[in-house]
Amino acid sequence: MRKIIYCLTAIMLLAGSSVSAETLQLEGSTTVGPIADAFAEYFKSIYPDLQITVKKTGSGDGAAALVDGRCDIANMSRFMKAKEFEKAVTNGIFPVAHVVAMDGVCVVVHPSNPVKKLTKAQVRDIYMGKVRNWSQVGGANMPIVVVSRDTSSGTYETFHGLVMEKKEMAPHVEYVNANPQAHARVRTTRGAIGYVGLGFVDSSVKALEIDGIMPSRKTIASGVYPVTRPLYMFTNGYPKLGSMIHKFCTFYLTERGQELVEEKGFVPLTNY
Amino acid sequence: MSQRKLNIALEPAAAKYRPLALTPSEDLKGYIASHLGRAILFFITCSSVLAVLLIFFFVIREAFGFLTHFSLLEFLTKTGWYPEAQEPKFGALALIAGSVYVTVASLFFSVPVGILAAVFLSDIVSFKIRGFVKPVIELLAAIPSVAYGFFAVLVLAPFMQKKLGFPTGTNALNASVILAVMALPTIISVAEDSISALGRELREASYSLGATRMETIFGVVIPAAHSGIIAAVVLGMMRAIGETMVVWMASGNASQIPHPWWDISQSVRTMTATIAGDMGETVKGSDHYSALFSVGVMLLIMTFFLNLVSEYFLTRAKKALGK
Amino acid sequence: MKIVIRNTFDKAFTILTALSVIFISLVLLGILGPMIWRGSGAVIFKGTVEFRKMQMDLFERGNQDVLQNEIVETDTVRKTIFETINRFKKGIDTEALCDRVRDIHREFGQELRLKGITGQEYSRLRSITRDIRDKLEVTFESQDKKEITKNIEYVLQFKKDERFKATCAEELFQIALGFQKDIAKIDLNKRKQYEEDLIQIEQTLFGSGEIPGLLGPHPDKPLPALAMNRFGATRWDQSLKLLDKLLWIEEWVEKEPGKPLEKVRTSRKEKFAGTDLEPLFSSVQDNLEKILKPRLTIYWQFFIDDNFNSHYFGGVGPEILGTLLITFLGMLFAVPLGLISAAYLVECASDHFIFRMIRMCINTLAGVPSIVFGLFGLSFFVLFLFPLFGMPSKGCILAASMTLAILTLPVMIRASEEAIRTVPQTYKEASLALGASGFRTFVTVTLPAALPGILTGIILSLSRIAGETAPILFAGAVAMGPIPKSLFDPTRTLSYGSYDMAVGDRISMMVPHNQYGMVVTLVILVLCLNALAIGLRSRVFKRLKGH
Repeated sequence: MRKIIYCLTAIMLLAGSSVSAETLQLEGSTTVGPIADAFAEYFKSIYPDLQITVKKTGSGDGAAALVDGRCDIANMSRFMKAKEFEKAVTNGIFPVAHVVAMDGVCVVVHPSNPVKKLTKAQVRDIYMGKVRNWSQVGGANMPIVVVSRDTSSGTYETFHGLVMEKKEMAPHVEYVNANPQAHARVRTTRGAIGYVGLGFVDSSVKALEIDGIMPSRKTIASGVYPVTRPLYMFTNGYPKLGSMIHKFCTFYLTERGQELVEEKGFVPLTNY
Repeated sequence: MSQRKLNIALEPAAAKYRPLALTPSEDLKGYIASHLGRAILFFITCSSVLAVLLIFFFVIREAFGFLTHFSLLEFLTKTGWYPEAQEPKFGALALIAGSVYVTVASLFFSVPVGILAAVFLSDIVSFKIRGFVKPVIELLAAIPSVAYGFFAVLVLAPFMQKKLGFPTGTNALNASVILAVMALPTIISVAEDSISALGRELREASYSLGATRMETIFGVVIPAAHSGIIAAVVLGMMRAIGETMVVWMASGNASQIPHPWWDISQSVRTMTATIAGDMGETVKGSDHYSALFSVGVMLLIMTFFLNLVSEYFLTRAKKALGK
Repeated sequence: MKIVIRNTFDKAFTILTALSVIFISLVLLGILGPMIWRGSGAVIFKGTVEFRKMQMDLFERGNQDVLQNEIVETDTVRKTIFETINRFKKGIDTEALCDRVRDIHREFGQELRLKGITGQEYSRLRSITRDIRDKLEVTFESQDKKEITKNIEYVLQFKKDERFKATCAEELFQIALGFQKDIAKIDLNKRKQYEEDLIQIEQTLFGSGEIPGLLGPHPDKPLPALAMNRFGATRWDQSLKLLDKLLWIEEWVEKEPGKPLEKVRTSRKEKFAGTDLEPLFSSVQDNLEKILKPRLTIYWQFFIDDNFNSHYFGGVGPEILGTLLITFLGMLFAVPLGLISAAYLVECASDHFIFRMIRMCINTLAGVPSIVFGLFGLSFFVLFLFPLFGMPSKGCILAASMTLAILTLPVMIRASEEAIRTVPQTYKEASLALGASGFRTFVTVTLPAALPGILTGIILSLSRIAGETAPILFAGAVAMGPIPKSLFDPTRTLSYGSYDMAVGDRISMMVPHNQYGMVVTLVILVLCLNALAIGLRSRVFKRLKGH
């Protein structure tokens, strides 16, 4: 027992002398996360010594991390709030936004749900608790299980602003912490309704038409779909030309970058 | 004659006799060393006191910002928890109610099973089998809470949705059942200790009066050990109320008080899950941050209070046994 | 009450209590059993040739020659499948044509730049090719034969232009001509149907951006960037699921209005009956084993390897390392503190008020919820203590282990105290009688005698620390991150990783065996530690008793 302790202490002390490799730290939105992951994977194949960490805990956390100087790039699916800007400036950080893709917040239900479309007002009523059963909006006689993202998520902000029109959600709404969780809840619960980014809509959930418009690349790129938003990467000031942060933040401008964005299910900015 | 010889024989030894405790003037180094050593050990022992004081101080310190700016009454009595809204609302009643709801529901499942099992181990079964069964129960206690949470989300929730037809599988029932399983080992071991400590005389007296085993247990043993059993239940409550990972994953996190209060298939949110879930995304030093620490203070106060209660009952149990 | 009734009650009660214990063991089995069963699938499973390819590519493991032979064997069978699909695709798969047309437009621009043509001439030429490209894209999607003919004629009029000769733009015209020929043969109405299904079939066989396919990426296409898309189905159970997806179409149809939709399965083979694609399905189904060559694999490196693509491939090595580091470092802090405190409390304490307060504090510490420890770890260690010493205030192994050390201090103190107390007074008195000082007695006599209990305490604390998640959430654990290079880096741990995989990623849901694998690794680690505690305790106990 003692020997093990000695050996491990020795190893740890030796490990204390850190090896310096270039690192890139990204934190923030779970929506932008997959894009950052795809970019990171691509970068790792070109620069094998580069260590990229992508933390996906929410737009608010990304902003907090950038403001505290804990990360290089903050992925956010909403713009920074005034409070965050103020704190950043006090800390000497000047956030600059890079829009890497366009996204639509899609309202999804279980594929077995006969409902195909809802109006914005209906969705609002469901989330405010005025409508509790699917039969009230043309579906089967099933109670509605309402799933929302937690309050510091960028996706939640967009939904709250554009669909809820800033009204409060009902107390019985279930909260999940990330896009994949919301997707998993809706996929496994027959009566569930939730909202995820376009990149998370696949064949295991069904996206609804909102006000008669189906979310797709075309309708989002043209702005016709009502719940559209840009996806941001924030950096501290404009990154130095030639630095790794700069390369990462301008990768979305290249064709390869836009391809990756589209591969992940989001809407690329240009018709490359 | 021999007496006097003895005295003479003793005297030289007596002259060399010294008391074992040396005075400082005779062995300054040793005196300082032993007392200094004791003092150092004392301070090291006080580390646990230091830790507790630091915990209370730092958690309260971070919560201070919230407690001074927002109304404590609203915190304790309103149910709207909208910390990131334009006008933030910090009504923690639903959270507190959620914790209490899930804990009490879990006791509903764990107390009967726990006491029966404790009785089984102490009274009904032989020592050999007891030595065999006790490790099994301790094994339950050793499983990490994440593993329980895993089970709750990936196995129990779909089961509830498919086979029991609940609209949502992550609800208060799910969390309560798992918490009950987690609290069981604590309840069983503490209860079993108190019941065993009663000794044979009490039981033998009851048997000699003609009672059956069941009557002895219900009429004599359990009432005699009631303080210990209450302490066990309270300790189980502490375990359940303080549990984070399981409720975060399994309770659905809807910040509501279930509408017909007995509808356990609805989603609730506990204090622990709120702290764990919200903390990652809050800006350090903001109101939301302090509010979360205030929830932590609430938790501390509640568990501290439960601790005192269990201590009280445990000392009563000890006194009743005459120890 | 009659004796008979009382006796029946008594017997019923006995059975009831026995049932409760049986119930508890069943619950234990019910929780652990399926988890261990599914988790073992991470280490013991039927791996296909794709798995071996992946091991060779990502981890450089395996026999290169044997692998090459296998690849050659499987490729011969796969070729027939590729040919079947290609034959069918002509005229149907417009996506490839659209992609090619876009690529040509881009390549043309690069060619022009290389030739030195810039400015107005450049943009004029490019606008023509852009026009051609857009027209062709519309043409490919259109179902109106008249429109198609009109557009192709429009495109072909540029063929005569001198500026496009001997450049890659010529290919545009070749494609247009080829398309015109192929279109003449095909019924455009059915094409839409086949197109959608073809996309699905290709995704199942070759994978899409999110789901890997049965056979791995199409050999004609460039290698995808993400590792998880570079290989086909690596496990036999995964391949069987994909085969099912290939052979059957699942749709949600409305059986009764106003009721939830129901899943209906139709055979894909029937849908494509009479076309060139029909033999594909039976050939894949019959030859699946020859294509994939499944073999029983024991992937013990699961415990050493790092993971790729959010645990899609690879193992939990870094997580185990993180857990072990935090655990042992935490013990390094907790054991001396706990042991010394316990020793002092037993040896030198009286019933003085101070000692009652110390004991009360220890009990309070034992009752603090784990998330509050997390808050404390964040507010004290990360935000207060680290800046004080000039270290960056972020979560790291050091902060996490210090937080966990305080968490298990009460456990350590209680176990050690009990152990020291059970040492018979006679040992201590005998030693003192021989002239040893109090301190010497303690170290050489009491401590060794109390060792089994202390060891038990150490190991129970170890297992407690290893399993805790909440205290380290803010103080040192991350879900994804590099292997820590120093004590001041955050790390991944088994506990936090299990949580992340259970609720998280879409990718994690695709690999349930890895999800369960991580949780089972943690559970087995903790259970082994506990079993070690019990075993050690009995062994040293026996030795002390003189057996």
